Formats: sequence, C-alpha cells, structure tokens
Amino acid sequence: MDNVDKDVDLVVLGAGPAGVNAAITANRHGLKVVLVDQNHAAGGQVFRPMPETFTPSGGSAAPGEGDELRQRLARSQVRVYFNHTVWNVSTDLRVDAVGPDGPVHWRCRALVVASGTTERVVPFPGWTLPNVMGLAAATILLKSQKMLPGADTLVAGCGPLLTAVAAGIVDGGGRVAALVDAAPRSAWLKASPAMVSRPDLMWQGVKWLAQIKTAGIPIFSAHAIEKVEAVDGRLRATLAPVDSDRRIGGGERHAVHADAVVVGNGLVPGTDVTRLLRAEHTFNRKLGGWVAVTDEYCRTSVPGLYAAGDGCGISGAAAAIHHGELAGLAVAHDVGSLDEHSFEREAAAVQRRLSKARRFGQAMGALMALPSRQVETIAPDTVVCRCEDVTRAEIDAAVAGGARDMNQLKAWTRCGMGPCQGRSCGDVAAELAALKAGCGRSEVGFFTGRAPLRPVSLEQLTGDYDYADIPLPKAAPL
Amino acid sequence: MRITKGVTRGEPVSFTFNGVRYSGYAGESVAAALFASGMAHLRDSPRNHQPRGMFCLMGSCQECLVWVNGRKVPACQQPLVESLQVSSISTEAP
Amino acid sequence: MTSTLDVVNPADRPFDAAVIGAGVMGCSTAFHLAQGGMKVALIDRGQLCREASGVNAGTLTLHMTRAALVPYAMKAWEMWMTAEQWLGAGVLATHVPGLTLAFTEAECEMLEQRAAARREYGANINILTPQQALEVEPGLNPRLLKAAHCDIDGFATAYLTGRAFRQGLDAQQVALYENLPVEAVDRRNGVFRISCRGGRVLHARRIVLAGGVWIEPMLAWLGVRIPIKTLINQLSITERMRPVMRTVMSVANGLLSLKQFANGTILIGGGWQGIGDRERGGVEAVPENLIGNMRLARYVVPAMSEGRIARIWLGLEAETADAMPIIGDVPGVEDAYVVGSAHSGYTSGPFMGKIIAQYILGRQPEMPLFDPARLLSRHPGNEEA
Repeated sequence: MDNVDKDVDLVVLGAGPAGVNAAITANRHGLKVVLVDQNHAAGGQVFRPMPETFTPSGGSAAPGEGDELRQRLARSQVRVYFNHTVWNVSTDLRVDAVGPDGPVHWRCRALVVASGTTERVVPFPGWTLPNVMGLAAATILLKSQKMLPGADTLVAGCGPLLTAVAAGIVDGGGRVAALVDAAPRSAWLKASPAMVSRPDLMWQGVKWLAQIKTAGIPIFSAHAIEKVEAVDGRLRATLAPVDSDRRIGGGERHAVHADAVVVGNGLVPGTDVTRLLRAEHTFNRKLGGWVAVTDEYCRTSVPGLYAAGDGCGISGAAAAIHHGELAGLAVAHDVGSLDEHSFEREAAAVQRRLSKARRFGQAMGALMALPSRQVETIAPDTVVCRCEDVTRAEIDAAVAGGARDMNQLKAWTRCGMGPCQGRSCGDVAAELAALKAGCGRSEVGFFTGRAPLRPVSLEQLTGDYDYADIPLPKAAPL
Repeated sequence: MRITKGVTRGEPVSFTFNGVRYSGYAGESVAAALFASGMAHLRDSPRNHQPRGMFCLMGSCQECLVWVNGRKVPACQQPLVESLQVSSISTEAP
Repeated sequence: MTSTLDVVNPADRPFDAAVIGAGVMGCSTAFHLAQGGMKVALIDRGQLCREASGVNAGTLTLHMTRAALVPYAMKAWEMWMTAEQWLGAGVLATHVPGLTLAFTEAECEMLEQRAAARREYGANINILTPQQALEVEPGLNPRLLKAAHCDIDGFATAYLTGRAFRQGLDAQQVALYENLPVEAVDRRNGVFRISCRGGRVLHARRIVLAGGVWIEPMLAWLGVRIPIKTLINQLSITERMRPVMRTVMSVANGLLSLKQFANGTILIGGGWQGIGDRERGGVEAVPENLIGNMRLARYVVPAMSEGRIARIWLGLEAETADAMPIIGDVPGVEDAYVVGSAHSGYTSGPFMGKIIAQYILGRQPEMPLFDPARLLSRHPGNEEA
C-alpha cells in the first residue's frame, strides 16, 4: 500500500485535545498535516468517544466538548490515520506505523508529540488480580464502553479522578463500596485557590462530591489499600491509614468486600517518543515525573520535535487545548508559513489562555504527584513489574548488589523488559531504586527509549514476501 | 453491568472465547464484552502463572492480550464484530 | 566534588594492574589477574558489561566465529557453561545444538566452505540433509536446501554478564571503578598515571586496554595507532512466546542469528547495520534493515509470524583490518597490554581475558596471542612503523 501522504509538513502523534488542536492550528496556516492515533476516533483520554456503533440517547443530546473537538477536526484539512500504531520515529523524522492495511510511513519536517499520559498505580499484594483495574481505566470503561466496573466497586487512590469515577459509577446505576483517598480531607482546601481560576471545573468537583455524599458512600480519607484478596468469587480489600507521605502505617484496618477494585495514584507523562529521540528530559515531581524539556513554544531539544499536552507535564485538558494550539503555531512559524509578527501576536494570546488553564490543571496534577516516600511501605513480595513478575525484594536486592540506574536495574532483574516496555512499572520502580540507593530520581534516570514504541507483530511488519525479496547486505567474513 | 441510561448500543453479536460462545454488542471492546460476561481472567502471567485480566484499558499495559484471527492484540483495543474468534495467549507448549 | 589533589591511590602504592574497559574481556582479564595474585583495578566510563558485552545476541557458536578462532571459542564455551563454578555466577548459558542453514545454491557453497574451514580448526561440524535438519529442528522452513550441524553450540543471556562478573570480581577483591571515564594515560618512573574525570588519578604498574571498539582511542593515549572499525549491529527481541525452536540458528551468509530463551523470548540478530558511531554509540535502527532481518527470521522459522517485537536495540562491535582480535603487548610501550576488538568477541571473551592474564602473570598462555603490531598503521606517530 503506497500512501499518498508520504511527504507532509507536520505529523502529530495523538488525537487528544492537544494533538487535535496542534493539527488544526498548523493546518489553518497552510501546512499539510497528518494526525495519527491508535483509537478509532479523536478525543484521547479525557474526551474518549464511544464505539462508532453506540449512539447517545435520551434528554441532553447537546454535543459535549469531545464531539465539538471531533467536528472541528472533521471540518479541517487534517488527514487522519486512526487505528494506526506508531512503532518508530527516526531522527530524520520518518514516522513508521502499522494500521489495518499493514505498514505505512511518513516523512515530515516537524513532529508534535501529544500522546498524553499513562496511569500510575502504586502496587500492593493483589493488584494484579482480575477485576482490579486502574482509575483512568475505569473512566474509559464508564464513559466509552458504558459499563460499570462491578455491581459493587471499591474506588481508591488519590486525586480528582476519585470523585469523578465514584460519581460516574453512581450515575450509571452502580454502587460504590467505599471511596479511599490517600489524601487527608484538607487537601481539597489547599488546592482551592487554584481551583477558583476555573470555577466551572470546580463546580463539577463539588457536584460529584455531593452525589457521593447523597449516595451514602463511606469515605476513607488518609487511607490506602494494603492488600486485595480473592475470596469466594469476590474481592476483599484491606484498608489501612497512611501518613502525610502516603506511607501505610499502624492503626485500624478495615475490610471492604467488592466485586471490583478501581485504583489509581496519578498520571505519568508519556515520554516514549521523546526518550526514543534522545530529547533532553527533566524530572519534575509535581508535573508527574520525567518530562521532555520544552521552551515556551513547545520545542524540545531536538530540532523539529515539539511536545504538547499532559505528556509535557500534568496540566489538565483545558491547558492541553491551548498547549496544542501553541505547538501548531510554533511549527507553522518554524517551517516558514507564519511570519514573526503574526506568530508573536497569536502565540501571546494563546499563552494567556494557557497560563490561566494551567493554574487549575497543575493544582489538580499536584494532588496526583507521587510522594517519594510512599513506596517505602510496599511489601517486599509485592509484584512491581507486572509483565515479568519482578518483586520489590528483587529490585532491592539488585540495587544492594550494585545496580545504580534503571537500565542496569533492568539488566539485573528483567524489570521493564516485558511487553508494556516499562510503562506500568517504570515510575514506581525508579522510586524504589532511588530509595534503596539513597539518591534522587535524577540519578537513577529512566529506561533508555527504544523502538518499537509499542509491541508490533512480526507478521504485520514483514508482510508477504519471498526469499529473493529480502535485501541481503554483504555476507559476514569467513 | 452495562449502563443503559443515555446510550443506545449497536447490534448484539455473538463471539467465542476459547471456543465458548459469548454475546456482546458490535463495537464494544472484546475486553469489556468478556468482562461484562463475567470472564475477567484472560490469561496467566508467564513467570508466576498468576491470573490476569484487563487493567489499563488504553492499550498500554498489555495485560489483556488475546489472539484474534491469528494475531495478538490487546482485547481493549479490539472492537467486537459478529462471530469473532478470540482465544487466550499462553507461553506454554500446546 | 573532587579536587585535582584527590588521589585514589598514591604513586608509591600503585595497583599491580589497571584494566581499562569493563566488558567481558576486561572483566575476565581483571578476574584472572587477581586470581593470580595481583592487586587489580578495573575502570569503566560506564557500568560494567553494558556495552557490547551486555547487549549482544549471546550466541555461543562455532558456526559464525572466525575459523581461526574456533579453538578459542571452544575453550570459552566451556567457561561460559561452567561460569557458576569458576566465576561464582552464571549467565544462564544453555547448551543446544547449532544449525547453520542454506536456502540457495550460493548459500550451500558458502555453507560447505565455512564448515570445512572450521573443521580444520577442530570444530565437529557435519552436513545435514533438509530431512535430517527438520528432525533436529522441526520448526524449520522445509524449503531449506542444506544445513551444517554442530553439537557444541548454545547461548548465554548477555544482559546477565555484568551481574555475574560483579560477583566474581568482588570475590577476587578487584577494585571496580564504574562511571569513571579515563581521560589520559602517561607513564613516569615505571608507573602508569591514569587521569580520570573529576581529577581522580589511579596509579598502576601495568595497564590493560580492554575497550572493544574504543581500543583505537585508548591506544592513541599511548601514541599508538591501530584503526578499528565500529559496526553498529541491530538486534531485536520478541515478547515471551510458546516454544517454537530448540537450536541456535544462523544462515550461511552470516546474516541471521536466531534463538529462543527458556523464558520464551526470541532474539533476532545477524549484524544488520543501524546508525551510529563510536562517539555517539548506537543512535537508531534503520527500518529497512530491521524488516530485512525479521523477514529472514520469519522465513527460517515460519512460526515466528506469531511473535511481536518488544524491543529493538543496537550494539557496537569491533572489527580490525584482518577481522582477528588484538591480544598482546601494546607495540612500543612497556607493561602495556591490549585485549579485544574481536568480531564475535563475546563468544570467546572469557578465554581471551584468561590468556592475556596468563601472559601478564608471566605464565605460558594456553593458546597463542594475536600480536597487535601486525595491524600498526603506517603513521609517523607510531613507535614502531
């Protein structure tokens, strides 16, 4: 299959609010833009669409923000490649992907990475059991698949997603066995000044809280799950109090029975592509961990590579929209399609909106940051690397034996060598390594970025061929 | 535990998982459809042989990997169509 | 922070030997020197065994080793297989037969040539018909024309090498200096002064350069010029999958290595080139070369279609002008030695370290060394032209 879009001005990776807005903005300034996403439609995480075969019904058929995003995209000249998974990006900005019709690639002058985040779950015994899933995962189940996690669901972790998910379950006709928040009740109060900058969003949070109270859901503040066990076809979670570092301590335990456990401890910016291209990164705990270093116009340290949205640091959906616009403007300017004066004028306006949105978004993000000491109380025999069943004890032993950074840790334990490529375990494993080594997160670093960006099937990559089709280089010496 | 309020689903479809027939709706993810049918245990972890099921629902964690039409895909990224044949992945010899 | 006066060990108490470069060659050299009674320092600008030694395909084969190196590879094979005993820790070295395969007439010729050359050096390689090959390896593509078979073959898990040597080196009380780049080396009053980043200085009576592709710049510290080519090899590995192969496989043209580990992952190699160089290291893979390599793998074992690639990486391999290693005295510099720059150096690595150590300890090396002087470039800067 020879795709018509081989040479484009801009490829945007990720069709969430940042990516779509980057694409539309650049396209509006005359650039030929390709937008790639592994999902079947735009929206990303926060505006995730339902399957194409589902239709909203009942009263409020007013288009939501996600629908508006998808409509604006459809009206633009951006060429979209949904159901495509990018597996490689070269330093000369060749982008390789696989889709329903096989491999495709594009060459471009600029690349915007807007691939969002993955969820962080701090492990506890039993977190790998079926019917235990992430908090962001639960929002996908509720909003996109229109499904409850269980008849009776335990919702645990930290951050604003807790109330959103609990309210979503109640709204969907389900029961919440308990809401378990690692933060003390006062955390919301500390965040209020920033929340005032987005009264609409603050009101949403207040409404959710009210729903939860009305439903009589037990709320455990300053608590976390100590373990989950499968008992008689259901799950039994043991809750324990945590201190201000979210470490599990002594004190009364509570047992909660549920059909499903939904747990999340914040979001981690996705850095697969920026690490692959060896962009400079910095560790910022409040922003969610390692992020690519960007200037005020989304440029990374790699020429031609831009990053926007939560992947640059947790700042929320509203900020992502404007950050994407900014990236689109920067690309348009940098390839010569937007003059200096117009660029500065338009960018300044976007930056003002971005700053305002960031105040709220980053305050929410800070609630989701991982306190460095939270991992202290992970039990030694707890699986940390899910793919390879590597336990905390094995990680500690490797560090004690001399492994000093994440890549050495990986070589000594296989942590991070599985198909998730370190996305599920990397942040927590790094925190454990730093703790054991007695150093900071910067010193232990991160897993070296490599292709493929996602596991890719040999069959899809190699296609149909004969022996004679294989371009053999010179034979090895005798 | 499908939510009925506010949504009209597509056509009901039937599919198989490890040869056993299940029903769902066209366009639902295979992971969600199996989950709704009470089939949360999709495979065993290769090292410790522990039960695993869907976890991140965004195609990242690879826990819900299944065979669909001779290819390995995360079940959370695979929409249901009529008569889809799905099976568990094992790293053991058959 | 260290000052220029921060001396690691003073000139009047030098190490008996300092080995620069902690890959398998350097680690083995340091280990055997220490075992022989020397006080040894082992220095690396990074972590031990994280370059070629930690990222190669781990193939312990005679098929793809240079014919003249077969006797060294056979000795090293024994060492890898018994590492738990002599080193104290292993690299999951696994003994399985090795097959090299031919799918065209030209490859059949190459196969016969390679087998014959290696037999001359002591390898027990016999030719198989396709039917015989399929009995040994049922998953092979039946369009195979010919195979060469060797019983002494197998593989190691390269990324375990560092951890294994770490234990052995600690037991021999080798002083290991990781993350300490060496910037200059000079010699005064019979003692080498090894200047490292941050002002740290080590002193040693002897030095051994064991830096693989970096031996060329290392020799330049001493004013010696031997050009060493840097190959940028691409490798890829699948996620764990069901058992689909049981031997180590290669193709007669030398462009494939294929093996499945006990954990089910399959490693694909074969020397397809990526982008990079000695200064930057491996930068990135070339998609066409990846696809070519994978097509070869999938052709040889069709069940590979089921696999998904989980990771692709690059490793640097050294190659001298005659594709043979350099093991011996640094030309024109007393008490300076060099070991390495061997194509397929991992396979023979532990043994090569052992024999240079024997030489340095004043004993008769088990096998002949490879005089570096033969490769001296005709350069005015060299002590011996």
